[in-house]
Amino acid sequence: MWENTRLVVFTAICASLYAAVLIPFKVLPIIPGVAELRPANAVPVICSFLFGPAAAWGAAIGNLIGEFFGGMGPGDVFGCTANFLYGMAPYKIWELIGGAEPPTPKTLSAWARFAFTLFLSSALCALVVGWGLNLLGFVPFAVLGNLVLFNNFVSSMLFAPLLLAVIYPRVARGRLLYHHLLPARPTKSRAVRFSGLALLTCAVVGGMIAGNLLASGYWTPSLLVAMGWETQSRAAEVGLGLVPFLLLAITGLALL
Amino acid sequence: MALFLYLDHRTFVHRRHPLVKVAALLLFFVSAFVMEHPLFILPLSASVAALILWTKSTPTLQRIRVLFLFIAIFPVLIWSVFYRNGTPFPTLPFLPITQEGALYGLGMAAKLGTFLATGALFLSTTRIEEFAYAFTLLGLPYRISFTLTLAFRLVPLFLESAVTVVQAQRCRGLDINSGPLFQRLRHYVLVLIPVFMGALRRADQMSIALEVRGFNSGRPRSSFQRAPWTGADTLAVIAVLAVTALYLSLWSAGYGRIRSL
Repeated sequence: MWENTRLVVFTAICASLYAAVLIPFKVLPIIPGVAELRPANAVPVICSFLFGPAAAWGAAIGNLIGEFFGGMGPGDVFGCTANFLYGMAPYKIWELIGGAEPPTPKTLSAWARFAFTLFLSSALCALVVGWGLNLLGFVPFAVLGNLVLFNNFVSSMLFAPLLLAVIYPRVARGRLLYHHLLPARPTKSRAVRFSGLALLTCAVVGGMIAGNLLASGYWTPSLLVAMGWETQSRAAEVGLGLVPFLLLAITGLALL
Repeated sequence: MALFLYLDHRTFVHRRHPLVKVAALLLFFVSAFVMEHPLFILPLSASVAALILWTKSTPTLQRIRVLFLFIAIFPVLIWSVFYRNGTPFPTLPFLPITQEGALYGLGMAAKLGTFLATGALFLSTTRIEEFAYAFTLLGLPYRISFTLTLAFRLVPLFLESAVTVVQAQRCRGLDINSGPLFQRLRHYVLVLIPVFMGALRRADQMSIALEVRGFNSGRPRSSFQRAPWTGADTLAVIAVLAVTALYLSLWSAGYGRIRSL
């Protein structure tokens, strides 16, 4: 991807759009100061359907720019990684379950597949950022993970279909979609890709449930109890307990 | 509208090598991170506050003061609930809040506040180009650091274009921030479409301009940015390393942790 000048520029465009859309649009508060619906949360998803891997890098860099604007911390490493995956997952999932259809749903089946794609991408982002910040002991997974999932899923479901309906056909006509710009990659068999999707779905959904149980103290892996690694902030429990889910999710995404 | 936090002064900290500033930022993060007790974090917060005054970076703190307010409140509230075990408050035995939980929350608020202030100090004294240059010196591929710098430079451009579209819509009598929820969503979409399309047009022209200037030539890149390493840089690194070593030794000796009261 980095060899293609257009995709390098699209990466920068995705990143700066993500940061720029944050500022002039007033947010719709859910919990004032903690959670809000923002059109910007839909930008990585929209860019993912248009520019593929460039959107993933763009989302990570855009998140970094947002942190430059609002304050930095060690948690940004997880924020950038989570946003990278949030930009990477939608186009990979849609390539498999969307068939040759554009990501502008019109039928009930297309809407269901579209919603599933956005839910899985939002949950993957929530899992990584919730895990990372609880591992550092900053915010419990049960608070942040669920908020990020809700925020990303609702924002992208509200804004992405409306914007894609207008933008996608124009970008496709200009032959600027990622599959127009990137050389065709060797495709894996459909069976492998569907196994990847199944793995990703199980890991992400299981990880979200496990993260909530671990963070709220309803579940502690017996290995941690035996080794005396229990912590009051549940940092070790969430940090170690979610590692298998994260590894499976990344493997699933790689197989897609 | 000033978008970024950099303040152009020529103080001692501003003049340090970009690598020194990046290393100092990371080492300060490590020092604050290993402590849980607010009393152990406060000396570090005070040092950062002194550096902020010295580098005349207080306007940056003014700009992000709301974040400090949230950081002061939410960790205490959240961790008072989620930090379950410990000694209940004798005067509030009916609440599921423990003294250790409240102390951990206070420590977390101090820690996050210190991170925010350290980040603000870094951003007030370091230009984006210096940041990208430091990462290039650390081995980040040129194309990624170029993308990072380009993205930073494009933000004001797109922001301006979004504000122009909002104003144009307002001239036509459309207030994007009024009306019921779904009407507001529709208004946002009407504004976002021209911003997206304008960005795409720009991207096409920009990639042609880059190609014409030999961006994809594959030859080794040179950099306009040059920062000589001085004795003062070495001293600054030693000072920050000493602070981090002190905090790490306190941590390894068991200080700065929250224990049952």
